[in-house]
Amino acid sequence: MEFSYIFWTVLSWMIFWSVVGSFVTRRIYLKRDLDTSNAAFVGSMMGASIGPFGLVPLCLNTPDLTKRLMVAPALAAVAVLMIAFAFADPENYCVTSSSFVASQIVNGLIIGIIYGFMALGLSLIFSILGVVSFAHGEFYMIGGMITYFMTSVWFPGLNPAIAILAACAFTFLLGAVFERLFLTPMYEGKVDRPVEYGILVTFGLAFTLQYFVQATAGANPFKARRYLDFPVLRLPSSEDPWLLRTSRGSLELFEMITISNPRLMAAGTCILVLIALLYFMRRTWTGKALRAVSQDREAAAIAGINPDRMNMLAFALGGMIAALAGAMLVQAFSWLPQVGAIPALRSFVIVVLGGLGSLPGAFLGGIIVGLVEAAGTGCIPDTQRAASYIPAYSMIVLTLTLLLRPTGLFGRRFAGGAHGKF
Amino acid sequence: MKRQHIPALAGLLIVAFFMAFPFLYGANDYRYIMSLLIAGFYYAILASSWSMLAGYAGQFSFGHMGFMGVGAYTAALFSHYFYLSPVPTELCTEFLIGNQYLVIVDAIGVTSSTLNQDCLRQALTIWDGSVQVTPMPVWLGIVLGTVMGGLFGLLIGLLVLPLRAAYLALFTLGFSEILRATISGEIAITRGQAGIEMPYLFEQGITLFGRYYDKTDKIPPYFVMFFLLLTCLAILYYLASSKFGLFVRALREDQDAAAALGVNTTRYKIMVFVITSMMAALAGAVMGYYVNIISPNNLMILQMSLVVAMAVIGGIENIFAAAIGAIIIQFVLEILRNSFEIGPFTVDMTIWRLVIFGVLLMLTLRFARNGLIIPIIDYFSRGHVAAETVAKRTAGIDKAEGRS
Repeated sequence: MEFSYIFWTVLSWMIFWSVVGSFVTRRIYLKRDLDTSNAAFVGSMMGASIGPFGLVPLCLNTPDLTKRLMVAPALAAVAVLMIAFAFADPENYCVTSSSFVASQIVNGLIIGIIYGFMALGLSLIFSILGVVSFAHGEFYMIGGMITYFMTSVWFPGLNPAIAILAACAFTFLLGAVFERLFLTPMYEGKVDRPVEYGILVTFGLAFTLQYFVQATAGANPFKARRYLDFPVLRLPSSEDPWLLRTSRGSLELFEMITISNPRLMAAGTCILVLIALLYFMRRTWTGKALRAVSQDREAAAIAGINPDRMNMLAFALGGMIAALAGAMLVQAFSWLPQVGAIPALRSFVIVVLGGLGSLPGAFLGGIIVGLVEAAGTGCIPDTQRAASYIPAYSMIVLTLTLLLRPTGLFGRRFAGGAHGKF
Repeated sequence: MKRQHIPALAGLLIVAFFMAFPFLYGANDYRYIMSLLIAGFYYAILASSWSMLAGYAGQFSFGHMGFMGVGAYTAALFSHYFYLSPVPTELCTEFLIGNQYLVIVDAIGVTSSTLNQDCLRQALTIWDGSVQVTPMPVWLGIVLGTVMGGLFGLLIGLLVLPLRAAYLALFTLGFSEILRATISGEIAITRGQAGIEMPYLFEQGITLFGRYYDKTDKIPPYFVMFFLLLTCLAILYYLASSKFGLFVRALREDQDAAAALGVNTTRYKIMVFVITSMMAALAGAVMGYYVNIISPNNLMILQMSLVVAMAVIGGIENIFAAAIGAIIIQFVLEILRNSFEIGPFTVDMTIWRLVIFGVLLMLTLRFARNGLIIPIIDYFSRGHVAAETVAKRTAGIDKAEGRS
């Protein structure tokens, strides 16, 4: 960075005022006997965006903290950070090249959709069992592994759709069996601390699965072939394809945005499955039963729903969703037994960011994390350093969420049961 | 002899065995077994301090290896970048302290060319052996590492105050990952994945009881690690059996109820974080000096899984059980390392042993929630209590039912 001191000065100024803002605003709202649940968040964002000029009126007037008052300072804070970066590093691609920026944003959105989809599975498990599945990344890995082995090793030339379905079926069964064998003591009151038991036992599953795959498949990276080639298109005309140009492996929009085929396909599939899932959750009896259990176990049981069976279904379905994401992405990334660790962490972040058990929250959270990662990998000057920090970007989002707004974007404020605690 | 004294007696016997072991054992694989035991003690410190944090206080932190890394990296960076020189180098940043110059070497990262040397090496080339530069004492590195671990523990303890259960686990995992990413990313300072070299624990060798030990000798680090383990266990045992242990267990059972009954939950939650992370950092710093290198791979989730699994299999609610579990599992894992062949297939045990280990972890959790070692301790120390209770209860039932 050319003028890195500008960036760091602005950043420390923002951090200072956001810390001050979060404490002072909460204090003042508490003193005036107002709702403090969002005060710390608004205060810190106001402090980060316009510093004392925003904090003083906020503390003097103590307005009602509406949604608009929460979103605007947060966006402003992001904008300030971006402007500071632009001034600090005027030579950077992120500042000079608009096509690079557009490309990063579109790719961030696409990968964010996939992240969000994967996090959805975790959110489902979390909202119904009250447990974070630490084996989520391993389901993702196994989904990809099965698809790769079926299409490339066991039955070469097999239609990828069949392999993907087989991967989903296998992980669904695996999830159901594991839940029956190992998670049942949680609901029967046999363990003192069910949440911790759940964390540890899924952690054990993750460990076992990861090394089992490594022992059987080896530690060399795999990469599946593309499932589908794009038709070659030139729009509006073959001489001047400024609107759209495709080759078999990628697609170019407006001569500036390049999207690779596997990612676009993965995102498309995720959206389709998401719609199917929403239909299932909203319209079918089983889906409604699932949502009922996530809202109130006892009441659902009284209404004739068997919560234990819903637990099994949720865990199996959650694992299957992760496996589907993995099966779609095995054609985009090289696949190792350890590949699940980073997506799993990312899913945790998205679930916390979106709010527990909130499906739209998980999706929006996924897109935000996707954009943050795209910005992080694209804009940090030293590419090697930027790549090393990939797991850290989402963790920074997690840290900020837990510090500023532990309920997440769409979190329920008064959730019952084990998952209401944090 | 009463039965409940057996665990204490067995503990003394184990300590005596480990004290005598280096002098009695003389087989060919002496160095190998000794390094296994040193690693075993290292994992025992981590597992027992983690069992204090997770088992006693109920704070399921996955950042324990992060604290270990803080300790090890503080010590490594300190030893790598700070030197004492009687003559100013006039190339590095340096301060006059007493009659010596404190030289701070510039960070150049990993370079293969000899042209690009750091400022101290350049100065040494110019002096051509006429000046002796003293590296910083190792004990100071260990102390600094421990203190830094405590500071990070304080910081993380403050940040996780409002978090419970899953959120705490995620946050601490995040801390550990951010730390690992930072260390791998800042190649100029930490040399990234290449790892940073550290001096020997006793660079000049050491003379103990009239016998000289070389710097590569296993006996001094063995006893250093063993006494550290004993000290940590003593501190943890004292804490667990004092008011502190009672309060942190109250915190585990119900934080709100404990607070309502007058336990200063904030203070104890932070204290338990600081103490256990200091122990992890201490173990990390000493282990780093012993193996001469620390790299970000030591902070990986696999390492954390090992510590968690050791503590859980040993028994998470007893520090001694966790420590014994760690040593045993370290041994078993090493014994299982030998690959073998069944017909045409080679079974690569370096990986399969971890699969077995994972299955064992899950089965232990499912069927023996107290771990595998706590029940043995309990059988001897509390078995008579259970028998007496059963006898009393049957007597009570008999009386109530009017039988004699």
